[in-house]
Amino acid sequence: MDWGYINARMRGMKSRLLDHHTLDNLVLQPDLDSLENELEKTPYREDLIEARGRYSGMPAIEHALRANFVRTFRKILDFSKEKEAALYISIFLHRWDIQNIKTVLRGKNIHITNEEILECIVPAGELDEVTLTELVRQPDMKAVIDLLATWSIPYAKPLTTAFPEFAKSGDLGMLECALDQYYYEDALLAVKGTSRNNAMIRDILSLEIDVVNIKTALRMIRDGVAPEEAGKFLLPGGRDLDAKKLDRLLALHTIEDALAMLAATRYRFLTGTPETALRAQKISVIEKQLERYLVQEGVRSFVGDPLSVASLIGYFWAKYNEITNIRVISRCKTADFSIENLREELVYV
Amino acid sequence: MEQVKPTRMELMKKKAQIKLAEQGRDLLREKMDALIQEFFKILSSVSDSRDELEQVSRAADQALMIAAAVDDPVTLKSASFATRRSITVDITGKNIMGVPVPVIEKKRVSKSMMERGYGIITTSARIDETAERYEVELDLLIKLAETETAMRRLGSEIQMNRRRVNALEQILIPELKGQAKYIKNAIEEREREDLFRLKKVKSILERKKKKAKEKKAVG
Repeated sequence: MDWGYINARMRGMKSRLLDHHTLDNLVLQPDLDSLENELEKTPYREDLIEARGRYSGMPAIEHALRANFVRTFRKILDFSKEKEAALYISIFLHRWDIQNIKTVLRGKNIHITNEEILECIVPAGELDEVTLTELVRQPDMKAVIDLLATWSIPYAKPLTTAFPEFAKSGDLGMLECALDQYYYEDALLAVKGTSRNNAMIRDILSLEIDVVNIKTALRMIRDGVAPEEAGKFLLPGGRDLDAKKLDRLLALHTIEDALAMLAATRYRFLTGTPETALRAQKISVIEKQLERYLVQEGVRSFVGDPLSVASLIGYFWAKYNEITNIRVISRCKTADFSIENLREELVYV
Repeated sequence: MEQVKPTRMELMKKKAQIKLAEQGRDLLREKMDALIQEFFKILSSVSDSRDELEQVSRAADQALMIAAAVDDPVTLKSASFATRRSITVDITGKNIMGVPVPVIEKKRVSKSMMERGYGIITTSARIDETAERYEVELDLLIKLAETETAMRRLGSEIQMNRRRVNALEQILIPELKGQAKYIKNAIEEREREDLFRLKKVKSILERKKKKAKEKKAVG
């Protein structure tokens, strides 16, 4: 098993991703039923048929997309015996674990029923359904964290550290923040080696950290959060924005000033944000540009060294982009969005 | 009409009742005019609020749809768990022209991003904006609940007043007037009968007197 094989498989799988023409065709479908029929002609057919057994309409499509995404990466994990390839996929799959633990903690915090929590659990990561169900069965948040610690699940560490602060303030955001920071720290630590592949994964992770930090900083500036307080929510390890730059960014008072400061970085494209969005302080418009940039950079990895993890990174982002686009098209079809507005919401890469 | 006693006393009673009913009708009309004025004042603010609510609601639905599409509905629903809280409202009352209407006092529903409870790092501004719009919608909804309840109560009071005025105007007053007229007619009729009877008696007496005189003259 070598990178040549993985690269060949990745290229084969990439050729099966929906092209521009197929996506356009989906956009032009008049309603959700015809969209479903069109999707049946794509590689999503199998997942869609399976999802229709339990759901119908929009939930069926969303379930099928989620199942396809997870299935695809599990398949890659199965044939990628290269350590670094498996590592990148594991880093991605851990996101589901973090998301699931957060869902359990949020549910326990407001004392909703276990059934309600389980509805929002997607056992796509390393924590399987049985483990997650057992976590959901715990009576309170402390018990959930204790169980994670008993099972030596690494996410218990940041939660145990942050729990006393949560117990004092009741601010669940602190726990979630600790969990997210741990995820990125752990991911960067896993690829700290000096190999080329490690560097590539580190590079895309750092870019993602930059994007997350810029989004966080802009939201903090908009809400007028004090820089010292806002600094607690930033992630270390960004590509272009180190701690000093981020501190300077947080000290600014307006979104316009922040974008002007970012003009000196690789994120200078943000200065082209429409005036109306800036006046209305719509961070989501800036966020969209950042996400588009991240996807573009991720997909661009595909043209990198074929005997490396590059094709895998490229495929991951291309697949992520495709799934998001199909979900946006489907949702917009249920809301009778005009085709022009729908196209604006899509991320064509 | 059979139950009405055609007496002068009864007529005076009926006249007093008519006067009272007409006074009541006029008062109710004045009250109704004042209520209608208040109603239209509230109506214009309700209609403005409704338009605003519709706009805000449409924007909120659209923001929710986009957030669900891009961030995955499962993520969105999970984030909503973090921020689920009850809203406490204090309901007191005030009087508008004797109509009790509610006054809803509440804390502002809109929260800052840090108060919502979900982690900042992996949630998006799309979720913030969706939450923000729904919070504004909730604020408007509570405000509208207060004015719309006041409007409904004023509306039903106006309707009730109109029914009362109509009942007075169309049924009670005409009936009383009819009864008074009947009594008046009956009294007049009786007076005419009395007069006729008196005249008759007088003519009989005169005839008898005349006959007695004639007998005396013959005898």
